[in-house]
Amino acid sequence: MNISPEEAEKALLEIEASRVAMRGAIRSHRGHLFLWLWGFVWMAMSALYWIDGHRFLWEIVAFAAAGIVGSFVIGIVQDRQIRSRFDRRFAAVCATLLVFGYGVWPVLFGGFASHKAAFGYFSLLWMQLYIVAGIWFDIYLLWVGLAVTALIVAGFLLAPGFFWAFTLLCGAVLVGSGFYVRYFWR
Amino acid sequence: MDQLDYTIHQPARLQIMSALCQLSERERVDFTYLKDHLGLTDGNLGAHLATLEGRGYIAVDKEFVARRPKTFVAVTPAGRQAFAGHVAALQLLLAPK
Repeated sequence: MNISPEEAEKALLEIEASRVAMRGAIRSHRGHLFLWLWGFVWMAMSALYWIDGHRFLWEIVAFAAAGIVGSFVIGIVQDRQIRSRFDRRFAAVCATLLVFGYGVWPVLFGGFASHKAAFGYFSLLWMQLYIVAGIWFDIYLLWVGLAVTALIVAGFLLAPGFFWAFTLLCGAVLVGSGFYVRYFWR
Repeated sequence: MDQLDYTIHQPARLQIMSALCQLSERERVDFTYLKDHLGLTDGNLGAHLATLEGRGYIAVDKEFVARRPKTFVAVTPAGRQAFAGHVAALQLLLAPK
């Protein structure tokens, strides 16, 4: 069986069309929905803390819970279409970071001096997970993790009076990254 | 040397392999999602997948999700290599001599 140059050209065009269509489908399964969800949750929590963290504590907890529930729903729906193999080693690293982050360090070093310190600490803890996930899987998570970490540290150390403005900006970084991942990432 | 692969060189199988090769090594796609994406019927896609699986180019896993059977499809390293070789051979045919 021989293939003429015309047939080869037609086949390459079909391959390219299929490639482009599948890339679009895969891009719609990347992490942009999680970034949008947590970006908005983060901004809402920051705004409430900024207004009055004590008064809106339950609302803040409710936003965090909504984010967790939303993440599960997105994960379940997306997992039915394009599924990634479960990586036990990555899951173990995440579990270790979270157990130490939530259960060991705060207990060893006592409570937090302020809402700012607590919010900054737990934000940095989750950004560690982003950075590890970026190293492990997809590099964009590394950049998101580093950018948000830099903003949190800068806000906490350099501009404590504007800390909540910095955390609002972190939420905007997550939302903006979601758009970048959805429409421009490979 | 890159060679044409006549198992892959069939319109539907070209589409299937091109689509599957876009997934990362960790990812698998649901049979129904792939079928809708490519605009093929159940029987048509199933037959082509069986051919590709027979050559070791793809892996087909069946499992239960929420008590329902689901089929996931992924390309194997051999499939990726064969497809890349086929595309390179097609491009060679178009290259000026």
